[in-house]
Amino acid sequence: MSYRPSRSTARIATSVMIVATILGLSGPAFAAGIGISVGAPESVAVGQQVEVKAVLSEDGVPVEGAEVALTYKATLGGKTDRVEIASATTDETGTAVMVYEQRANDNGEMQIVYLGPGTDPVDPFEFTIAVEKGGVQLYHSESGVKIPFVNGTLVILVIATVWVFISLSAVLLARVGKAGIVEDEASAESGSMWIGALLAFAAIFTAVGMVIVFVRAPLANTDLSHPGEYETHIDEYDRTELAHVGDLDPYVGFGLKDESAAQTGDPVEDGKVLSFEYACAACHAPSGLGGVVGPALIGEIGSFNNFVEEVRDGPKGMPAYSEATLSDADLQKIYDFLEAGR
Amino acid sequence: MDTMSNWHERLVRKTTRPTLVTTYRYWVWLAFLVAVFANGVFQYSKQWSNGLYVTDMRDRISWGLYITAFVFFIGISHAGTLISAILRASKATWRAPITRMAELITAVALIVGASFVLIDMGRPERIFNVFRYGRWQSPIMWDVMAITTYLTASVIYLYAPMIPDLALYRDRLSNKVGVARRFFYETVALNWRALPSQVRLLGKAITIMMLIIMPIAVSVHTVVSWIFSMTLRVGWNTSIFGVLFVAGAIFSGVATLILVMAVLRRIYHWEEYLTPKHFLYLGYLLAAFAGFMIYVNINEFLTSGFKLEEEGEFAFRQLFVDDFALMFWFYIIGGLLTPITLMLFRRTRTIAGVVVAAVLVDIAMFFERYFIVVTGLRVPLMPYEPASYSPTFVEWSIFVAGIALFLLLITIALKVLPMFAIWEMTEEHERNVAREPIPILQGAHEGGGDGAPESPPDVERLAEGGVS
Repeated sequence: MSYRPSRSTARIATSVMIVATILGLSGPAFAAGIGISVGAPESVAVGQQVEVKAVLSEDGVPVEGAEVALTYKATLGGKTDRVEIASATTDETGTAVMVYEQRANDNGEMQIVYLGPGTDPVDPFEFTIAVEKGGVQLYHSESGVKIPFVNGTLVILVIATVWVFISLSAVLLARVGKAGIVEDEASAESGSMWIGALLAFAAIFTAVGMVIVFVRAPLANTDLSHPGEYETHIDEYDRTELAHVGDLDPYVGFGLKDESAAQTGDPVEDGKVLSFEYACAACHAPSGLGGVVGPALIGEIGSFNNFVEEVRDGPKGMPAYSEATLSDADLQKIYDFLEAGR
Repeated sequence: MDTMSNWHERLVRKTTRPTLVTTYRYWVWLAFLVAVFANGVFQYSKQWSNGLYVTDMRDRISWGLYITAFVFFIGISHAGTLISAILRASKATWRAPITRMAELITAVALIVGASFVLIDMGRPERIFNVFRYGRWQSPIMWDVMAITTYLTASVIYLYAPMIPDLALYRDRLSNKVGVARRFFYETVALNWRALPSQVRLLGKAITIMMLIIMPIAVSVHTVVSWIFSMTLRVGWNTSIFGVLFVAGAIFSGVATLILVMAVLRRIYHWEEYLTPKHFLYLGYLLAAFAGFMIYVNINEFLTSGFKLEEEGEFAFRQLFVDDFALMFWFYIIGGLLTPITLMLFRRTRTIAGVVVAAVLVDIAMFFERYFIVVTGLRVPLMPYEPASYSPTFVEWSIFVAGIALFLLLITIALKVLPMFAIWEMTEEHERNVAREPIPILQGAHEGGGDGAPESPPDVERLAEGGVS
């Protein structure tokens, strides 16, 4: 095995050249206080090691021993904030080198932030590094042992081989039928071989289908590394987003896909749907019959006031439902539904 | 002394009896099976509209009687492979009268077993998502592949050696059966005239299927066991599951074959063909596999019990002394030790003894499948109370309907398909008697009826063709 510079090494080399060019063209910023200039590649791919250089100078003099951090805007669970992904201290030329692994598929706005030791405010340097489409799939497990040839292709080959033999036998049976016709033309006896041909066709059809299912399987589902390419598959993929409530009222997590399902006018019917909307049914089972986690509610339910108190309070590990989440009006409907089921 | 043609005539007469003679008892039996099956369909309609809530399966114990039945029936389907393919490959000549029944059990049990997977699904209409979105990284997907392959292969393997017999039925029975069955025989007999080219082609097809079906069968039940052992659940997380399942499958398959043979022998007076020797040999096979099962069980329980990890303690307690002890010890004593004991003594080494052993084995193997499925899910993986599971009436009804379907398909097959490999038995008999052979696969000549001269060379070519 000979050593080959990997793609990411080449990328680092390129980015260093870009840094040098940018530095040469722009030069350190001259301003009052500390100025920051940055050299970074314009675009990177997910999984790549990215080198970002920050040069700090104060009135043309390099700042040594300053701490800087590289941050980017991250969004998680609807919350957006700045996240530090690398930090470094400047050397005697005022340069701090930060290396990070590109994980997000979108960096948004990145910043070099001055952390100290000085206390005067320093404007952060803003820039962007575009993320190229494609690249490796980071959540794909890199652990495990890769054995050459022991992989999906081998599995497909084995299955295909087995099916070749099965199909071959079926074809032989069809030929048995055919031989009977040709060599016995003289006799008037009626004969047919279509069942053999049908069998052979069915076997070959299943064989090809089976291999196709196997070959396309990894592409069909959960391979999110090519979102654009396979989006249609993922969109079509309909796991369990619908729950059946009586006459097929759709339910998606907290909330309803179709709000009108809980507005039939009949409080009992509405209550039934609402018991799904607010996930009562998740623990207490459909119709409040009681599941493994939640006790049965039918027959156990007391006065409405008592019921409201319990729901607002959340006894024994049950989540408390505040008025903001679950209104008294909706609660009344759920109560009516449970009452009716008694 | 019996002449060869007398023997052959009697064989044909006796083996075609179920096809030609229908007693009132047959209809009563058929009606009973249909009723049981219909009840299962009715109970399933409840599950269809109300969901799996009508079962006792809940979030913690989410597999129950249905998956037990699935594993049990797929296990039974291994009868055909062992008896037919392995004995055919090893040229064990005594196999001839029992291969057809074994192959039939395989195909029928597979159909019943595979349908229990569908029954276990809360949303069965989503089965096609397996083909649309399935990923081969999933053991469920392997199962779908393996069972589809095995079902196709075993149907071909059932059909191919049956062609000469179907031709015989076509020639002999066409004027004795109705239009539908006449059309059926004319169609499925595939123009079989025992022509040398046909014999050669058929021999090749049978040989290929015989060889290919053995690894397929072994892989099928191994993959079924992987559904369990590819998880980290206590009790399932063991490398011996594949061996345990394959051995158990053949074990219960042989037992079921013995039962089917014994019942049909009694009803249709096939004592001449299904001799005590066949039962005895199958009994020995049963005892040998019982011994192997004991070995596998000791190996499994001793290696994990000696080191007994913390979670394993619960699993051991529920199996050996608590909730499942009765089932477990019945399995060990009734299902594994008793069959061996029965085969050890001359007094019990009879057809009755073998049948008793087979009944015990089938019940024990059902218990084994049940406690493997349920105890594995019952072990708490977090500090909560262990869940409980007892199948509901709906589940029992559907399970019993599965057994009824199994028997129903065999009962219907009795009316339509040759239950014996008549041509193989005849060849075997010829070899034993060493008389001047007569052509046995010459359906055309016999059917023509006007005495085309029988030509012994054909038979020699048959033998060369490697059909045997």
